[in-house]
Amino acid sequence: MKITIDGKKVEAKRWDTVLTAARRAGIAIPSLCQLDSLENVGACRLCMVEVNHPHWRGAKLVTACEYPVESGLEVITTSEEVLRLRRANLDLLLARAPESRRLQQMSAEMGLEQSGYVRPDKGTACILCMLCTRVCEKLGCNAIAPAGRGLDKRIDTPFGGYPDTCIGCGACAAICPVDCIEMTDTAKTRTIWGRTFEFVKCAECGTPVITVEYRDYAIAHRSLPADYYNECSDCKRRKLAVKFAKVGG
Amino acid sequence: MGDGPRTLVIIPDKCVGCGTCKLACSMVKASGDAMRRTRIHIHNISRERYVQMTCLQCVDAACIKACDTGALMRNEATGAVELQENRCISCGLCEVACPFGHMHFNRATGKPEKCDLCSGDPACAKFCPHGALLYR
Repeated sequence: MKITIDGKKVEAKRWDTVLTAARRAGIAIPSLCQLDSLENVGACRLCMVEVNHPHWRGAKLVTACEYPVESGLEVITTSEEVLRLRRANLDLLLARAPESRRLQQMSAEMGLEQSGYVRPDKGTACILCMLCTRVCEKLGCNAIAPAGRGLDKRIDTPFGGYPDTCIGCGACAAICPVDCIEMTDTAKTRTIWGRTFEFVKCAECGTPVITVEYRDYAIAHRSLPADYYNECSDCKRRKLAVKFAKVGG
Repeated sequence: MGDGPRTLVIIPDKCVGCGTCKLACSMVKASGDAMRRTRIHIHNISRERYVQMTCLQCVDAACIKACDTGALMRNEATGAVELQENRCISCGLCEVACPFGHMHFNRATGKPEKCDLCSGDPACAKFCPHGALLYR
């Protein structure tokens, strides 16, 4: 089907969202909480666009990551109103997490020098983008989820307790755009969400590789031999290099 | 030149360990600021015996099997296994799964870094002054 984005005729597929159709056509729309491999939730609201249709009575503002395309749809990604809204949303996110490099970068791109708001003393930097919970769900663990409502809304383990299903993979901490998930690694253990995990140590040099639980998860859910997860990258590489050297003579 | 994509050929016998490939890689892939984060490494096996190691773009790649989101895919034109950042969920399993240690998970960005053959024009091979890395 054909849709129009910023006056340009673009070919879109059924079930495309405005965001995917635009990206495929090389039209950039900013976004923070969207990944192609995860469900779209429209949490960051930075991908706001204006959509209109010849059959409608007027335009409306929607999140591009969630809005499905339809034939004849007209999308405007850079109108005054759209830019104003995006900046306002970013302003609020930046107030929550002023230290986030990712947000600082986006602010610079959108011409926002610093946030006009101040974060309350007690608040965390979490912007509730739901990337961590969706990543956890994607891995099949569901160890964390949003809890509470309104001002109390937060990401937490079930009832704030011990996360039984967590495997200590650290994906939530790595994906967090504002780095607000605490993860402490020592030579022996990793602590995250109030639970401490033992590391599998490299069979050669003893550096931590992954948590025992994560290794067991990988063995159960990926079609790779169980002994693939026992050594660190440096040792694996060195072993192969030694083999190569022998072949060379 | 045969059919199909070209490959990066590593010839350890010719390597003198000068590190030009590493420098070229860091300039292209890490703006020159991170020699430790290069995607090619030189291993000094014994005196005057060096082996360059980089991703072998395995036919039956463990990293692709470890990736559950389809973020690692083969670029059919270059034969390289490439990362699609917008599919990657930062689980880091590819790094651990690679049996040869060629995935580098960058904690700061939350994404793995790997050799993508510079989209068909590998800088390491271009700059190797000893013909120890060939792209053919």
